Amino acid sequence: MKPASPLWRLLTVALVLAIGAGMYWATLKVNYQWRWERVPEYLLVTGGEEVPAPFDGTVAVNGKQIRITPLLGGEPQAIPDIDVVQVSDGEIVFAGNTVGKKAGITPGPLLIGLWVTLKISALSLVFALVLGLIAGLGRVAHNPAARDLAAIYVELIRGTPLLVQMFIVYFFLGTVLNLSGFVAGVTSLAVFTGAYVAEIVRAGIEAVPKGQMEAARSLGMSHWQGMRKVVLPQALKRSLPPLAGQGINLIKDSSLVSIMALTDLTKAGREVVSSTFSPFEVWFTVALMYLLLTGALSVYVRKLEKKMAHD
Amino acid sequence: MTKSESAAEVLIEARQVEKRYPNGTLALKGVSLAINRGEVVCIIGPSGSGKSTLLRTLNALESISSGEILMDGISVHAAKTDLNELRTHAGMVFQQFNLFPHMTALENIMLAPVEVLKLPVAQARTRAEKLLAKVGLADKAGNRPSQLSGGQQQRVAIARALAMQPRVMLFDEPTSALDPEKVGEVLDVMKDLAAEGMTMVVVTHEMGFARAVADRVLFMDRGELVYQDAPEAFFTGATNERLRAFLGQVAAH
Repeated sequence: MKPASPLWRLLTVALVLAIGAGMYWATLKVNYQWRWERVPEYLLVTGGEEVPAPFDGTVAVNGKQIRITPLLGGEPQAIPDIDVVQVSDGEIVFAGNTVGKKAGITPGPLLIGLWVTLKISALSLVFALVLGLIAGLGRVAHNPAARDLAAIYVELIRGTPLLVQMFIVYFFLGTVLNLSGFVAGVTSLAVFTGAYVAEIVRAGIEAVPKGQMEAARSLGMSHWQGMRKVVLPQALKRSLPPLAGQGINLIKDSSLVSIMALTDLTKAGREVVSSTFSPFEVWFTVALMYLLLTGALSVYVRKLEKKMAHD
Repeated sequence: MTKSESAAEVLIEARQVEKRYPNGTLALKGVSLAINRGEVVCIIGPSGSGKSTLLRTLNALESISSGEILMDGISVHAAKTDLNELRTHAGMVFQQFNLFPHMTALENIMLAPVEVLKLPVAQARTRAEKLLAKVGLADKAGNRPSQLSGGQQQRVAIARALAMQPRVMLFDEPTSALDPEKVGEVLDVMKDLAAEGMTMVVVTHEMGFARAVADRVLFMDRGELVYQDAPEAFFTGATNERLRAFLGQVAAH
């Protein structure tokens, strides 16, 4: 094959730039005030961490030393590590009031949201893989009950919208079993993704030639031994690319947990938008942060695939 | 009672074996045969004659509809038979080799002794290395099946089956998937096995091998065991019309 002309690459760059310019021009039409400079403070807070008063009391300030004498009586207590004093001498504070700030950089709401999204996605993925492996084995099992149960699970989950499943898990199961938003979120994402993983696992197993299991059985291995030692290792290797796609879907679907009083990346984005009135910048930033997560996963899986191809 | 007639000598016995597929086709029509310990039996016949099916019923890779198969006096297809245990005594070699592609040659051979016979890994390794040397592939221990030629793969497959120290070896067209120049190396390994006294049942199209190595040759056609005899008589003196027609066709090629 003749190598493609580099002109095509140039055309790609030109088109992307043109689309970007078009979007910029469009925002000019709606008279939008771009304020990118406000985004970083929602990623990292440099102002420092606020220190609350531990109880109601009277403040004594000496330089950067804060001592609070409890209103209910007792010894005065020193508040350590204050860098910026925000109360004055003799002032009365109540428990929870900010008395000062510690210096240093702390994660802002968007980074905290990213961390929550990462935690939910990672946990859900682990459970989804386990659930999907079990259901996938059920789909190819000889036992009719196992086969039917697995089929019902897959059809029920694939046939209903994730958002509706989340409402059911959060409002119905969550109320009945008293689940936290986090547990409900992980549960619904794992159950949803597990159904797709099951189909990927089933397809992987069915793609392994029948002769492999026959050879294992002819050597005296049980069906389960043959599955574990011979068929599954080959099936999972074939399943890796579609599983990576499913993992990426899971990260993106996790944005729906923001309905469950969980401040994930999307919910954090919404909160930041409501306090900054800069929706364009914030949503572009949020999208980029999702892209970082999904991109990292896809690079990792590609490496894993290469490694397995060598083994 | 002469030695050849004594019951202890019979290793595999099939009695009136019938195999009917769910769609009604009759693959085996009342096949009866007895294979003695140490005997090499070749089964020939046109494709679709049921010879592979018959072989696969001997270790229950294929079920039967009626009749009975006994191996060492144990009914192979009885519900209470421990098939996994029984299969350790019958090594099988497949047309497509069916080596495990994610394992090296050595690991292929070690897997079942470790998993099924619970042999210590070191012992299984020693056994596997000896068997690889026996099939002339001592230097290929660390190779994956994809790095081996068809003939080498089939020799590893034979070593894999031998690692279970079976009482009988079942060969299902072991050379049919090979390039012509690779057939000889596999047949040589099989000849050595036969010379050591291994009981062998070989479904094959290799008439030369059947003639040279077999103690008895069976001809199957349309699910029936049509004719059986010692190789000399089978290939030259047979008067059976269907066998003559088949041999005529083979010779024409």
